[in-house]
Amino acid sequence: MTNTNLVFKSLTRRKGRFLFTSLGIVIGMASFVTFMALGGSLKSQIERESAALGANLVVTPKGSCAYEQVSILTGEQLPTNITKDEVAAIRSIDGMMAIPYLAERSAIDNRPVSVMGILPGETREFKNWRLAQGEYFSHENAEGAVLGSVLAEQFGLLPGSEVRVRGSQIKVLGVLDETGGKDDLTVFLSLPVAQKLYDQKDLVSYVAVRVDHLDEVELYANKIKDQVSLGVVSDKQMRNSVLSIVGTVNITLQIIAAVAVLAAAFGIVNTMMTATYERRREIGILQAMGATRTGIFKLFIFESGIYGLIGGVGGAVLGGLAAVFAAPLISQNAATSFVKGAQSSFDPMMFVGAILFSTMVAMVAGLYPAIKASKLSPVEAISYE
Amino acid sequence: MNNSVISAKGLVKEYGQGATLVRALRGVDLDIPRGSFTCIIGASGHGKSTLMHLLGGLDYPTLGTVIIDGQEVSRLGNKELASLRAKKIGFVFQFFNLLHNLTAKENIETALMLAGVPDNEQERRAIELLELVGLGDKVNAKPGQLSGGQQQRVAIARALANDPPVLLMDEPTGNLDSEAEAEVMKVLENLKHQGKTIIFVTHSTEIAARSDNLICVRDGQIQEPQAFKKAS
Ligand SMILES: Nc1ncnc2c1ncn2[C@@H]1O[C@H](COP(=O)(O)OP(=O)(O)OP(=O)(O)O)[C@@H](O)[C@H]1O
Ligand SMILES: [Mg+2]
Repeated sequence: MTNTNLVFKSLTRRKGRFLFTSLGIVIGMASFVTFMALGGSLKSQIERESAALGANLVVTPKGSCAYEQVSILTGEQLPTNITKDEVAAIRSIDGMMAIPYLAERSAIDNRPVSVMGILPGETREFKNWRLAQGEYFSHENAEGAVLGSVLAEQFGLLPGSEVRVRGSQIKVLGVLDETGGKDDLTVFLSLPVAQKLYDQKDLVSYVAVRVDHLDEVELYANKIKDQVSLGVVSDKQMRNSVLSIVGTVNITLQIIAAVAVLAAAFGIVNTMMTATYERRREIGILQAMGATRTGIFKLFIFESGIYGLIGGVGGAVLGGLAAVFAAPLISQNAATSFVKGAQSSFDPMMFVGAILFSTMVAMVAGLYPAIKASKLSPVEAISYE
Repeated sequence: MNNSVISAKGLVKEYGQGATLVRALRGVDLDIPRGSFTCIIGASGHGKSTLMHLLGGLDYPTLGTVIIDGQEVSRLGNKELASLRAKKIGFVFQFFNLLHNLTAKENIETALMLAGVPDNEQERRAIELLELVGLGDKVNAKPGQLSGGQQQRVAIARALANDPPVLLMDEPTGNLDSEAEAEVMKVLENLKHQGKTIIFVTHSTEIAARSDNLICVRDGQIQEPQAFKKAS
């Protein structure tokens, strides 16, 4: 017999209670880990998209707010009311490059995808795209579509196959190299073709601007505002406001998950209190055999620590899986739609952290019952009938 | 004095306080000679178990002193007292003795662990002890699968795990049939020949007659054994 053996035999003597208490902490930790993992990947995804946009300034429809800014980064549909004349006015400013986009949505096999109308030549230069397969648009209003790499793979599309966008069959010209961002999940059309397809004649959703000299971003923002009465945000402002929206959602979810962990901790307190009461005679016997109070305390703390260990391992595994597999299912709104493109990387530090955190919480939960158990007088414990 | 393994002076034990105060012991003096077979007798509720717990260092007296093998209980902290019990005393209790989720062997192994016997020697020793009490075939039985008498014998084997010089037994044969009782008594007889001091609480005058030191408890005090013998 060893202390470890003794603890495991005590743990498993009430199998149902052991199972349900473990489940409680596993579920609590799983939700916690899920939201932590999502939060981490959301943040890096936002930063990646913001970088992939390649712009210092973004011109948005007048009166647009943070929500539209989120949509620019996620490729959601946007109000389309920037006119051809406004685009021309912006593009007439020297010392910067301005690229208009028409952001729309479509569905392939009932799965939503982003559709972008672009200026083929300039966008390619602006974003440094490389072609993986097939051909690129031959001229500025070429028919046909160029696809992001992930999308092409998901739907098994190759150059020469056809894709249905808003009721029209469109020929696939080529597939881009992987970019790591939402462009990988987008169908690109030339701007005139997209405008016609979506009935948005001469209109675009936003204009991405890159200034020649980084220290003049502020100056150019004002120049644009002088030319057109539209919203202008810097990439930093946009990133920050998006991060703060997503962060708020994320923190709320994490708080809810923390409450779940807390509830599970009280489950452990409850289980261990019951165990203390049930085993008071045995505690007396152990003391008569020479177990010290510290010894009894350790047995009980060890026992509740095991619940934490189980919760940490189970929660990290389940939560990690949920973050990878369930994430696409919850990407229904702008704040969480980043997740679908996120490569939920498995972070070993988070795994270790979850196990340590959970074990610590469980041991704190077991503190009171363990103190209670160690304070039992052997005589009272034994003479109880 | 050197000849007594346990001695008590002016022992008082009270439970509770105020209206619920119970004086279980009211001034007990006694000496337990080393190597003796001492019987404690007395009617129910008169303080036998309480006395036994104090003599084994399981509890502190309210007043008075208990000296176990030269060490005064009141001067020892919880930890030292626990270690004293681990080294010197083997208990067999009146009611609950065994950890019910463990087998007979595991119960004894737990006692061996607390006595500091390394893990790899425990199994052999545990089986030896169970054979000593005639339960070599019940090694893997859980207490629930054993009769009351068998459970008490496991408890005796368990009490012997630390090879203690003193065995304290609270009516270990109280609910055994005469055959099982005879078996237990035979085990105890052997232990006595090995030089162990045995303190035995009993209601049985038959067993008491075989003791070489008789202590009669009445109303929390020691009564002259002569009076007991006459009365019974
Ligand atoms: N933990 C306790 N709390 C309060 N009172 C107690 C406690 N233990 C014993 N007593 C009281 O002390 C007195 C002596 O009890 P004790 O158990 O020592 O008697 P006993 O002689 O062993 O009786 P029995 O032959 O029935 O076992 C009784 O009145 C009992 O109610
Ligand atoms: Mg009693």
